[in-house]
Amino acid sequence: MLVSYNLLKNYVDIDIPAPVLAEKMVMVGFEVEEMTDLSKTMQNVVVGKITKITPHENSDHLQICQVDIGEGTVQIVTGAQNVFEGATVPVAKDKSLLPDGTKITKGKLRGVESCGMLCSGGELGLSAGDFENAEVNGIMIMDDRYAAGTDMREILGLFDYVIDFKITANRPDCQSVIGIAREAAAVLNKPFKLPATPLATESDDINDYISVEVKNYDLCPRYMGAVVKNIKIAPSPKWLADALKKSGIRSINNIVDITNFVMLETGQPMHAFDLRELEDNKIIVRNAEKGESIELLDGKVAKLSPEMLVIADGKKPSCLAGVMGGAGSGIKDDTTAVFFECAKFARDSIRKTAKAVGVRTESSARYEKGTDIKNVEYALNRALSLICELEAGEVVCGRVDKNRGIEDDRTLAVSVNKINALLGLEIHGEKMKEILNSLLIQTKLSGDTLTCQIPSFRSDIEFTADIAEEVIRLYGCDHIVGTALRTENTLGGYLPKLELQRKLKKYMTALSLNEIYTYSFIAKGETEKLGLSSDKAITILNPLGEEYSVMRTQLVSSMLRVIATNANRGNEQGEYFELSKRFIPKSLPLTEQPDELSTVCIGLFGENKDFYELKGIVQQTLEFLGCKNAKYVAQNLPPYMHPGRSACVYEGKKLAAVLGEIHPLTAAAFDIPKKCLVAEIYLDLFENRKKEIEIYKPLPKFPAVTRDLALICARDLQVGDMLDAIKQGAGKLLESAQLFDVYTGEQIDSDKKSVAFKLVLRSANETLTEQTVDGTVKKVLESLKKIGANLRI
Amino acid sequence: MKEKLEQIKAQALNDIKNAASGDALEQIKVRFLGKKGELTSILKMMGGLSPQERPKMGQLANEVRSALESALENAKSAVKEKELAARLKLEKIDVTIDGTRRPVGKLHPLSSTLEKLEEIFTGLGFTVVEGPEIETDHYNFEALNVPKDHPARDMQDTFYLGENLLLRTQTSAAQIRTMENLKPPIKIICPGRVYRSDDVDATHSPVFHQVEGLVVDKGITMCDLKGTLEIMVHKIYGENTKVKFRPSFFPFTEPSVEVDVSCPECGGKGCRVCKGAGWIEILGAGMVHPRVLAGCGIDPEVYSGFAFGIGLDRLTTTSHKISDIRLLFENDNRFLQQF
Repeated sequence: MLVSYNLLKNYVDIDIPAPVLAEKMVMVGFEVEEMTDLSKTMQNVVVGKITKITPHENSDHLQICQVDIGEGTVQIVTGAQNVFEGATVPVAKDKSLLPDGTKITKGKLRGVESCGMLCSGGELGLSAGDFENAEVNGIMIMDDRYAAGTDMREILGLFDYVIDFKITANRPDCQSVIGIAREAAAVLNKPFKLPATPLATESDDINDYISVEVKNYDLCPRYMGAVVKNIKIAPSPKWLADALKKSGIRSINNIVDITNFVMLETGQPMHAFDLRELEDNKIIVRNAEKGESIELLDGKVAKLSPEMLVIADGKKPSCLAGVMGGAGSGIKDDTTAVFFECAKFARDSIRKTAKAVGVRTESSARYEKGTDIKNVEYALNRALSLICELEAGEVVCGRVDKNRGIEDDRTLAVSVNKINALLGLEIHGEKMKEILNSLLIQTKLSGDTLTCQIPSFRSDIEFTADIAEEVIRLYGCDHIVGTALRTENTLGGYLPKLELQRKLKKYMTALSLNEIYTYSFIAKGETEKLGLSSDKAITILNPLGEEYSVMRTQLVSSMLRVIATNANRGNEQGEYFELSKRFIPKSLPLTEQPDELSTVCIGLFGENKDFYELKGIVQQTLEFLGCKNAKYVAQNLPPYMHPGRSACVYEGKKLAAVLGEIHPLTAAAFDIPKKCLVAEIYLDLFENRKKEIEIYKPLPKFPAVTRDLALICARDLQVGDMLDAIKQGAGKLLESAQLFDVYTGEQIDSDKKSVAFKLVLRSANETLTEQTVDGTVKKVLESLKKIGANLRI
Repeated sequence: MKEKLEQIKAQALNDIKNAASGDALEQIKVRFLGKKGELTSILKMMGGLSPQERPKMGQLANEVRSALESALENAKSAVKEKELAARLKLEKIDVTIDGTRRPVGKLHPLSSTLEKLEEIFTGLGFTVVEGPEIETDHYNFEALNVPKDHPARDMQDTFYLGENLLLRTQTSAAQIRTMENLKPPIKIICPGRVYRSDDVDATHSPVFHQVEGLVVDKGITMCDLKGTLEIMVHKIYGENTKVKFRPSFFPFTEPSVEVDVSCPECGGKGCRVCKGAGWIEILGAGMVHPRVLAGCGIDPEVYSGFAFGIGLDRLTTTSHKISDIRLLFENDNRFLQQF
């Protein structure tokens, strides 16, 4: 909401500079988005009188002017042809600044010195309606009454500030100068001055001009109107055009400007109909009929639907209620009689209509936030009073006022103690009363009870808490001092699954993985690049773009993108993890909340990375999570995995993880130039598992015996099976069995391989004898023989 | 014999004195004290002495032996010391050469900032909870006092997934779930991802993170809110940081405030970071709206509470002076390793 500081002074005696006012307004809840010191937008531009004009010797279009600028006469070369001796013109002096940021300095034009520039209206940031002759092609010739040397800012009203207040959604009443002024008055503890609405004598009878019928009071709780005849369309006076301009509205003509100014001033939108355009002299406020459409003022044709409210005449919709007038309905240069509409429309209806039609106006913006039913009458009177003041027409006797009754102001009784209890302060009831009254909430104090009459423009006030907010905002938030919480003792801590996640993250970093964060939504194509179908994913109905349109069902593609970014930026290698959620719908299209499954994704890239490094990380992580008996199976692999270097991990029948090297085609699809491995661990399987406390096992008392076994077996015999055989053969005495060599090549048959294990045997009760060890090794070898692995001799 | 002993002693001591290495000393030991050593052979001749002389000579021989032994011992340790000194000198390395670093994994700065907050609030007896990211309209809006078509919905642009399902725009949704399930005293924080339809730029991201806080009990005041936030602010920005409340509006709190802290960069004098204001806005807060309490089955006449929402991304970028929020989601090694 753009508000001129000078304009505000018409409603409250402001005796502090604009920046101080702005600061005070911030502290009562009106954030200042921007504050423009208009005097800084133009500098060193003054009124000049051209005393003499001579032609320029080196140019046929330039002229040399001697200009009296008050402090003396300067020579200025101009290319404009409309100047003449004796003309009063705006002069940008040497070292001046124009509103568009242009700086003017002394210089030579084709060899002749020029000490500034004569300005056009455009160069001063003015357009038609802003100032006399502003739109003229050439220099803006001004009235001779302006004295030479007068600062143009004074003439243009630029010794002012425009403050852009951010109005919160609970204060629609402050979408108006009056609303802001009421707040400023309370802040400064000065009276608020509501402009009076004197009217001239009225004649005729409105009923002879128009009849109004409201068919839907739910969408239009109040519809007021008045007729003005003998309209004289003219440019607005300067104060009016200025006020509009400073609030970002272009001046059109006196009638349109009055409706716009009243909207700015009171927050109540208005519409002026050319009476000639209303067929049958009728206004019918009704829902649109199926199939109806309307051409709007901006030329756009809007298709209407029955839930939209229109202002129709006897034949057709003439105006999309509260949003925009119809193309033909508005004021024209030859308009002679006008019907002024001033109404309250239902907030939600305007909101939906504006959205559906895709049109947002100053009017719809105010209706969408909510308007005050009582303000309708004041706004209409204010507009009519301005008509009289500007002598723009004659008001016809009588008003339209269709409504189903206007409710009296609500009364709210609140307890002083309760307000203080909520705030934690001890503000005296009298002080509260004073504050509330200053906000025009008429309040009486009796004992502990404040009885507040809530004005109709404060529909936001419903509860004690609302009154508490009014009190503290004016009393000053700085009075709130920090105190310690006095609740019963609470244990605090983490939900178990969050505790697990927190610890897991630390564990992953201890495995020297770096944590990454990526978006939860991805492009459809990402899933397809993995060779997966995106049909099973939840899609966003209104995504920012295709790139962010699907809720991910896996974390791999995001990981691969991060790896691609790093690899292509010249980073040699990387080790990452992400802990986030996969979104798995129960059904599509989505009708209920999906499963959000916690998942860990691990990614490694770099030339020396291999499956076993990744597997080690996965194994350690699964152990950390309490996974028992993980089985690594090279089957049912996802399509993005290398078929020979990947595995699925099962705990029982449940898939606990997938890991392996990325398929070369996937790597190519993601533009990853280096070796790359990923794993996904399905954390949701483990997060409700109770973490057992580790129980101490006594350290071994007796020495261990190690034996190395070199075995020969078929090439495709898996080490996992051999280890199982070793465990089976060795029984309880086996402490560990570790692979330390796999060899194929010379001295080994081409279909065979040599595999070597280090066995550690130990008994908890005695020192092992040679005999026992030999016996155990024999059993191990027998067990291995059964699967086709024999001792290498 | 006495002369002989004296001579051996003199000879041996002299040799010991001149010995240059441990090996040389060992040879001396063997030569004089070994089984076939000179002193030993002299002692073997003791049998030929008279009974009067035998004890005297025995004593003398023992004196010589122990003198030699202790001289040898001393010489040995001196040599060892020398040898050690020589070895140590030889082993000298260039300590200015860079150390061999162990790879260390780093938590993402968002996680480490969150961890700090979690530590502060769990220390104050808060429980860390979570809520779903895909929420119903009810939990994300209606129960938070934002009915359909209410202007307050404009405050946040929402991603929709179905008629009543959306990506939560605020972690406040979890407030409601908590209040429905727990009885006061409630003290929780709920960190998590939130989504708003903002185009990506240096300060906006459609995915970001909030930490919602909620306290509900009897007699909770706005001063308690400030006291709690002050603890948080002091722990994060330092004890001299000031906290300022500014009235504002959120549909689910009343009164509502924006919370500013004195600029951690300039201490309030005004600088580039705070755009000259001396303060930076870090979070929104307020007293839980009576309608929200009542909607969750908590009697607003009996209980009161406060809530606050911290923007984790902003807190992270301001405290680490990260100039562009996009860096957080790009995950370049050289970025990740800095924290």
